[in-house]
Order: sequence, then C-alpha cells, then structure tokens
Amino acid sequence: MSAKPKLRSVWVFHLNTGACNGCDIEILDILTPFYDAERLGVKLVGSPRHAHAMLVTGPLTRQCYHGAKKAIKAMPPKPRIIVVIGTCACSGGIFYNGYPIYRRPESGREGCEYPRRGGIIELIEDLRDEGEYVGPVIYIPGCPPRPEEILYGIAQLLGLVEKKLEGEHYTEEVGFELPEAPINERIRLTLREKLRHVVGYFDRDKILEDFMELVKKAEESEKPKEELKKLIDEYNAKIRDVRISFCMRLLENEYWRVRDALSAGKEFVYWV
Amino acid sequence: MPVTLRYPFTELEAPPEYRGLPHIDPKLCIGCGACVNACPPDAILRIDDYDRGTRKIVLDIGRCIRCARCEEVCPTGAIRLTNLFEAASPDRRDHIEVVELRLVRCKVCGNYTDFTERQVKKALQILPKEILEEEALEEKVFICRNCRRKGTVDATINATKEVVL
Repeated sequence: MSAKPKLRSVWVFHLNTGACNGCDIEILDILTPFYDAERLGVKLVGSPRHAHAMLVTGPLTRQCYHGAKKAIKAMPPKPRIIVVIGTCACSGGIFYNGYPIYRRPESGREGCEYPRRGGIIELIEDLRDEGEYVGPVIYIPGCPPRPEEILYGIAQLLGLVEKKLEGEHYTEEVGFELPEAPINERIRLTLREKLRHVVGYFDRDKILEDFMELVKKAEESEKPKEELKKLIDEYNAKIRDVRISFCMRLLENEYWRVRDALSAGKEFVYWV
Repeated sequence: MPVTLRYPFTELEAPPEYRGLPHIDPKLCIGCGACVNACPPDAILRIDDYDRGTRKIVLDIGRCIRCARCEEVCPTGAIRLTNLFEAASPDRRDHIEVVELRLVRCKVCGNYTDFTERQVKKALQILPKEILEEEALEEKVFICRNCRRKGTVDATINATKEVVL
C-alpha cells in the first residue's frame, strides 16, 4: 500500500449491504476471545461517525445503495478505510448478475473484462466521481472468508504482515504434461465420472488410484477377472471401511462392463 | 492459559480438506473450458484471440465461491482447490491467474481454429487405438470446422457425380 497511514487502533463500523449473513458471522467470530481482533486495536463502534474503517459485506443491492453511500459519507473525512469482506463485496460473487445488484452505467453488462467488476467497488467509484475522499481499500475474498483470513487482512492493513498473493500469468513456455494412467484413459475417465456420483470429487482420485494399481496387478496374471476379485477382497479386508469396499465393488463391475464392450468393439454408454 | 490464537504473528495451516484458493496447474491445463461452463459465479473466463492465436483461461479468485465444481469437471485434474487462504490484498489484480495457450492453426486455410494444441493431444490419448489409425487421424485433426465441412461436402458431391456418370 502506498502512502500507508499510521494506524495504531482502528475503530471499525460493520456495514451489511445485502449479504447472506455468512460474512457477518465471521466478523462476529474475529471479535471473540479465540481470535480476538481487539488485541490488534480493532474496536467495533456503533456509528460510522466514530469509525476509521468500514467493514463492508454484501454485493451492494440497489436498496442498500443510498444507505451505504450515506454511511460512508458520514465517516470522518480521513482515513476512511474500506475493508471489503467476502467474495460478494469484492466482485458481486454468486449474486453478480442478480436483478437487485447495483452496477454503474459505465460498467455496462458483464463481459470478458478482468478483474471482474461488481460489489462495493461500484459505490467507491461513484463516491470518487463525486469528489469524496475514500481511503485505502483492502479486499478479503472468500465465501465466507475464514476468521484467520479477515485477521490477516486487518494485520496487513496495520502493516504487520506482507501480502502473499501475486497475480500470475502463465504461457505455453511452462511445458505440458500428459499423465499416463496404468489403464486405458477412456476407461479411467468413465470410472472417474461413475465414482463422482458415489463419493464426490474430493476422495475419488485416491480411491481410483488404489483401484488402478489392483487392476494393473490383475491384468498381468492369466485369469484377470478372478485375480481382481481376489485382490479386491484382500484390499477390503485390510481397509475395513464399508464405503470404500462398496466403491471397489462398483468399480470392478463397471471396469469389466466397459472393458468387455471395448475389446468386443462395441459402443458402451460413456457417461453413466 | 491464554486461549487466543497468535495467528497473524505465526504461521497457520488450514486442514487438508479445507476448500481454499483455487489454483490452475499450467503444466496440466489443456484449455478445454469445462471449468468455465461449470463455474456458477463466472469466476473463470475463456478468452479466444483469433488474431494472435491464443486462448486465455482467466481465474479470478475474488469472484470464486469455493464450490469446487471446476475441480469436479476438470478432465486432467489441472484446477485444484488448495488449502491456502491468505488472499487479502489491496489490489484486485493480485487475484487474477491467467493461463495462455496456443490455438491450432488450420492446415488448409491457415486461420486459427477454436481448440488448443493440448486439447488435440488429450483427445488423441482418449480415442481407442483399435478403432482408428493414428496417422490417418492426424491429417484430419488439424483442420478448422469450415474447411472440414467443405471437405465433406466436396467429397459427397464427387461421390454422387461418379455414381451418376
């Protein structure tokens, strides 16, 4: 931040401009003894006239627009810091194209511009156009942000820590990898999609990796079907988790269905 | 015993299953745009530039709601939700991540097509080798949609002419 103001104790006012209350609950969290933002000098005040900083949440609905404008205008003329909390306030978030969301006429319709527009920045630019002073703005994205993330943002505002994130631009020079799986890629993608319906996105890659190892072992033997059944039985006995053994059985059936169809030259239902 | 977290003055790690900032691995990304279609708040963009022959996949963390749908649909596992969370920044441009990939140039007309070179490589990996010959395929793949349509129509017309004559 250029022209860093000397901040000792920031008094903040909490303003909700149409948020779903998730970010507001996280703001309550940072004032509890566990996170305790007050040790950094943060104090929640009841009026914008006493506040140095405004903690803004929400995507700025049109009903809130004039109230929010009044509240920011009511703050003392300096430093008027805006702490933008949550994805909604940063750029509109999931509500970005909702009918009640305020957008400046200059911003136009949502296009291919980036950083994405929307949220409190529209109000701040309106205020700056009117000649009002608005101090430094700090963005804390997250839906909702963790309490630690808000603490980190406030600490950054006070000059206690440095920012960690940098904008990144990769081109073709970084190189390209096409990872090879032990089984046919077409079968792997089908199994992966099947597994998504059962266990979801988070655990499926680990389960599929284990399964592919078993398949690789079984395919080397003479009777792959019986061998795979035996290997999976052993695996299930070792894991002792009903959910994983259910997935393994399912994958086994699916694997033979797809593989038999492929080796017979038949078409199979690709996306189950 | 004090209960307060010493957090901004110490390092802290989120649990492994925490859905934090998304990150695109540029080595794995093929630029297919599956994540762009899946993203509910339009945090990921696909921008094609047919003059320069590049496709940009742009990820804006400041618009992302951490729903992990992009991770769910990514065919190569390039986009992942890490367990990092410290994204606070005074500049919105710090939240942008761009992956710029080359588009395929049409062998016949020389214009840029609407798919990337990496997409072709991935598609060739998925296609069953028993059914299609790879050498014959590589001649047909690097052609834009218009030229391919033209070629099909010409071939059909020639075939009908031969039958008529």
